[in-house]
Amino acid sequence: MGEIIQIVILGLALGGVYALMGSGLSLVFGVMRIVNLAHPSLIMGGAYVAYWGFKLYGVDPLIMLPVAVVILAATAVILYKLVFEREARSAKYSEMTVLLTFALAMVVEGALGTAFTNTQRVTSPDYATDAFFIGDVFIPKGQLYAGMVSLAIIGALALFLKYSRFGYAIRATTQNREAAELLGVNVNLVGLVSFAIGIGLAGAAGSLVSFVFSFYPSKHWEWIAILMSLVVLGGMGSILGTVLASLILSVIAAFVGTYFGATWSTLTFFVALFVVLMVRPQGLFGEKPELA
Amino acid sequence: MTSLDTNEVITARKAYYAGLAGEADKGRSVWFPIAVLALLLALPALQFTGNYNYLIHLVLFTASYVVMASGWNILGGFAGYISLGHNVFFAIGGYFAGMIFARYGISTIILAPLAGLVAAVFGYVIGLITLRVRGPSFIISSLALVMIFKILFDNWDFVGGSNGLSLPANDLPVQWAKLPYYYAFVVMAAFTVWASYRIRHSKFGLGLRAISKDEIKSESAGINTRFYKVLAFAISAFFVGMAGAVWGEYLTYIRPNIFLIILVSVNMVLMCILGGKGTVAGPVIGAILLVVFNEFFVATLGASEINIFATGMIMMLCLMFFPLGIVGTLARLKKLPRILNWD
Repeated sequence: MGEIIQIVILGLALGGVYALMGSGLSLVFGVMRIVNLAHPSLIMGGAYVAYWGFKLYGVDPLIMLPVAVVILAATAVILYKLVFEREARSAKYSEMTVLLTFALAMVVEGALGTAFTNTQRVTSPDYATDAFFIGDVFIPKGQLYAGMVSLAIIGALALFLKYSRFGYAIRATTQNREAAELLGVNVNLVGLVSFAIGIGLAGAAGSLVSFVFSFYPSKHWEWIAILMSLVVLGGMGSILGTVLASLILSVIAAFVGTYFGATWSTLTFFVALFVVLMVRPQGLFGEKPELA
Repeated sequence: MTSLDTNEVITARKAYYAGLAGEADKGRSVWFPIAVLALLLALPALQFTGNYNYLIHLVLFTASYVVMASGWNILGGFAGYISLGHNVFFAIGGYFAGMIFARYGISTIILAPLAGLVAAVFGYVIGLITLRVRGPSFIISSLALVMIFKILFDNWDFVGGSNGLSLPANDLPVQWAKLPYYYAFVVMAAFTVWASYRIRHSKFGLGLRAISKDEIKSESAGINTRFYKVLAFAISAFFVGMAGAVWGEYLTYIRPNIFLIILVSVNMVLMCILGGKGTVAGPVIGAILLVVFNEFFVATLGASEINIFATGMIMMLCLMFFPLGIVGTLARLKKLPRILNWD
């Protein structure tokens, strides 16, 4: 019994981090219909911000988090202006952007790899290797903090989307772009801001990831499939769905990892992605079957 | 009042189309690809005058990508289903032929068509499953497929797991050692381009192009879209698998890291986009350009990371400013040189 609780707790803590990694992706898809395959590589960028902040100046990754958010959000604004604004008029837009963001992911990977080489890195504040003990069950502090911070950020995002005026505009654009535009929402601005928020979340996730996983630039390919599985299972565009999907899949993956070995735990995500796409492409909470 | 006989109308229409096709044929320079092929077949004679192994390797490498990119083009270009997971079939072909070669010593060059068929069977089955979805979902499912196969091959001890398997090298003198593979790839490339031409000009190819324009309309026009798509998937898997078969023996080892890295599938996609997807000549031109680019980047900058950066950059610029590719853009401007008009 103790073992099962242990596995569930580890899975949930990791699931919290995955939830933050996936929610930016989901937000961007919901508002802009961009399947942003470059999201994980931008998370990698956030991880490097936190890593160098810690390595060079000894700043805690949790304090570097806002810095990473700002840097990544600024990058997002530039990318949006340069690339995505003009693409929005193209006919096969959503298919086009998949390839485009795929290429962008390679650009980011290549740039990070050139700058920082492909060696494995991990930020190591004290709590990253420490743990709480409750009876037999241990809770790694790093994963616990990361999971809690990420759920707090997602909570704040949800409140913003639900109660602020701009949040209304974002949700309106997600539900129906044309109708929102007709009612006077500046959809282009909404697109820009939610893209910046989404990529900013990638920065936040990156600084959390930096002490939870070891990372190197080409690792983002693995994350792409993991994050896609969360977002697709949750229903593209639904942030609540993404959070639930991450918690569910991470716990399942933790069980698979314990009983069958660590390699197979990642396979859980990939198989889930494949099966969900084939069986229920709209996911748990998705409403728009148009992607299918 | 004139009475219209259906048969007369049909004959008249047939004659009209034959006239159009004849006109198109007049504008086509068939001699050019044949001359290129003859040149490539004669190229190894250079070995009598010195060591041109590097040149031979480059042509071989390009030819292998011509096979793969043209194969990919049948699904991605003609039918419009973009797959980022076609290196799965590269791996299947490579492992199938490589394992038989390692166990029974039958050369992979002989096994290549068989390996292609095995890949095609896999492609057929996978296509039956994944082609139910379209657009972004299909692309993402193809990525998931690569990840799944990577883990499976990495952990399949029978084929050597992630360390792979080394294959015996042939015992020809160094000067001639590359030649069997060279000829195999050049012949395969020629065959692939020919097949791609024939497919484009068949009823099947017409159906695929209709699917890429509007799948729902083509279905209501009576095309069995599901069968067409799955068949296109299988055929494109056939070519990619065939290339994989010989590639393993040429490198003298097979390993998941050779076949199942993302760069291989990206190259296939990028070559088609760069050259012009949906055209016969596009993948060939794309393959030549990209191999030259790659050699240039590796030779001048040396690092594979820069190579990834540059590949991504070319792909982005291409997609943003040049979505029809070289052949497609030139054809739209009606400036396509006759020697490149292979469609």
